[in-house]
Amino acid sequence: MRLATLCPRLEPCRVYHPQLMNIRDRVSALVAELPREPQFPTQGATLFVDLERQQISRGYTPMRVVKSLLAGRGANMFYLHRLLDETLEPLHPDIPLIFGSGVLTGIVPSAARGNATSWSPESGVLMDSNAGDYFPSFIRMNGIDHIVLFGRAAAWTLLRIRQGEVEFLDGSAYLGLDNIDLRERIPQDFGGTWNRDLAMVNVTRAGENQVLCSAIMGGPKACYARGGPGAKMGSLKVKAIVVQGQTRDFETAQPYKGYNRTIAQKLLDTSVVKHALKTMGTPFLYKPSRLLGAMGTKNNQETTWTDKLDAENITPYRPGMSGCFRCPVNCRPLNEMNQDAADKYGRGDGPEYVTLGKFGPNVGIDRIESVIRLNNICNDLGLDTASTGSTIAWALELFQRGIIDTTHTGGFELKWGDADLIERLLFMISRREGFGNVLADTTRAVEKGHYPPPALKYRMAVKGLMQSDPHDARILKAFALGLAVATRGMDHLRNRVTLEINARINDDPAFKQRLYGAPVSAAPNSYDTKERAVRVCENMYAVGDSVGMCRFTTKLFNSPSLPGLEEFAAQIQNVTGISYAIDELDRVGHNVMGLERMINARLGVTRSHDTLPDRWFDEPVTFGSYKGEKIDRGEFDAMLSRFYEVSNLTPDGVPVDAWRQELQQVIG
Amino acid sequence: MISVLLPSTLRVSDSDHLEVHEDVHTIAELVEALDRKIPGLREQLDDSVFNFAVNDEMLLIHARERALNDGDVVEVIPTISGG
Repeated sequence: MRLATLCPRLEPCRVYHPQLMNIRDRVSALVAELPREPQFPTQGATLFVDLERQQISRGYTPMRVVKSLLAGRGANMFYLHRLLDETLEPLHPDIPLIFGSGVLTGIVPSAARGNATSWSPESGVLMDSNAGDYFPSFIRMNGIDHIVLFGRAAAWTLLRIRQGEVEFLDGSAYLGLDNIDLRERIPQDFGGTWNRDLAMVNVTRAGENQVLCSAIMGGPKACYARGGPGAKMGSLKVKAIVVQGQTRDFETAQPYKGYNRTIAQKLLDTSVVKHALKTMGTPFLYKPSRLLGAMGTKNNQETTWTDKLDAENITPYRPGMSGCFRCPVNCRPLNEMNQDAADKYGRGDGPEYVTLGKFGPNVGIDRIESVIRLNNICNDLGLDTASTGSTIAWALELFQRGIIDTTHTGGFELKWGDADLIERLLFMISRREGFGNVLADTTRAVEKGHYPPPALKYRMAVKGLMQSDPHDARILKAFALGLAVATRGMDHLRNRVTLEINARINDDPAFKQRLYGAPVSAAPNSYDTKERAVRVCENMYAVGDSVGMCRFTTKLFNSPSLPGLEEFAAQIQNVTGISYAIDELDRVGHNVMGLERMINARLGVTRSHDTLPDRWFDEPVTFGSYKGEKIDRGEFDAMLSRFYEVSNLTPDGVPVDAWRQELQQVIG
Repeated sequence: MISVLLPSTLRVSDSDHLEVHEDVHTIAELVEALDRKIPGLREQLDDSVFNFAVNDEMLLIHARERALNDGDVVEVIPTISGG
């Protein structure tokens, strides 16, 4: 039986939240509604894992939910909405942590992704983080689409999944191991070979210590990074989920391998893959950003930095490229600075552009070797390089301005570019030692009483989440709008109109109109019509996440010619037998965003949170051909209103009543 | 003379540096001149992945009409997004 109370946060919503029930009652009520059998070929089960009682229940996502939200990120939102009790706190064991793989994950080339979803302990709003590598595909090989973790284990636990079944194992032997050592230890103890018959997600010491910028690692570098997933998993006392099993083909509704070859060829023929992703990976973007004067430098006080960090300077240290499950692109650069076995951080995966920016210009480092080393350390310590780098940059600026001093930092003199100190701080963050404990609270440092309130003026965050990427968006207004409205906080991967930076597209209005379904201003620094492009990208990327496609290989993010709704619809039909018209699939992406906004509204998010850091409104860019650009508050507010209008949102930023009722019918 | 820097994936020799001595006044004319030196390059450059920078200034709009002067350095820069 469901006891229900009317939602107090979002009047007049008709959402009934079972707030008087505990998580077990909510799960029981939900499982009772779920089908007991797969609803379509290839569908995997949803496992509800009670960590405290070591019990498992299972069901399948209902077809009405799949039709409206797909799987992966989309269905994760269904489960979170149904199980969330917003009267608690994010790290309460009754707040679930939900893993979900896309409907095409593990089946289609470059669709190797899954999402981890909860209530963010870092930002206080929706947590939804996406990762690839092998775990999302391997759970699907085990007949599992979603894993819902709840309840705090009595002791540190390692979950092992084999042949679709979950075992609760003692995780205490792995306590205190960071990523490198744990990934060495697990094959020794369990047998198997990474990526062939073994995959894992795990927390490091940072997750054990509930560091708010801690990630759930999904590989040597790949991780669910944003919003503190590591802290959430650590709070449940789950050290790792190990998945074993042979890779296999799926029994699909119709033959699909022929069209897989078409998709793979489309990927490999795309120029951005040939000319950038396959050769050097994402660090390519550093150079255009710094030339444009849009490279966040010293906590965005400046916007350009040295050419010594250009991608070609990483080349001497790049022995090859790596990739995710069955992805033909292999965009992940490896690094090797030495072959000294005693130097744990002399080699590794990455850095990606984000890490290059966050641990280069943003903290004033100009040596590529230092950036690579810090990247390798973050991968081992399980730290989100975006939040961690931004948090350190924020502290550096506060120290520069005298807002904090050595009494706040435990005696450290904070200086831009001090790579040795930053390295030391990373270890202190992961252990919550000394000043590391302050930094471990990231955006919440003022709220926790570590910093005085004036510090907030220099915090480069939206909705409590530090900016994901190093791009300073004062010039490109579509980028700025996207960062403001992203449902998980200040993050470019939710909706970035990346092609705004491509002159070839800006100079072809007819082509640009076809891409976005309506005219979009050619001028990168114009506010005019940019809301339309953000809307289209947000829908596309939400669908991509819900089918499991990598963002880098999804249409509109890096290229107009990568697989998009048309290819997704065709292959969903082949694999699952479910038919979607293109506009229906677009509507799925819109639904995912709408449901996310409904969840955020329950967490107290309002229009006032769809904004940008003060610096971008108040301080103009001082370098490059767009010198003088900043965000005009009036223009921004008007653009936000237009965005709400084209998004079918109320002036408060939630779905309009009719649409909300439709979504309510779907989620129950 | 216009100096042109090509990304490694478009290079036809070990050098990333080309010199165009023809009298060209815009990026569009430069591309034509480059195509005469390296047949097929025009088609390759007609792609959204490639941006042009003139003397380290990134061009995001009106790129082909951008005026060039003797001594300018034009760089072809693959532009992608990151994660």
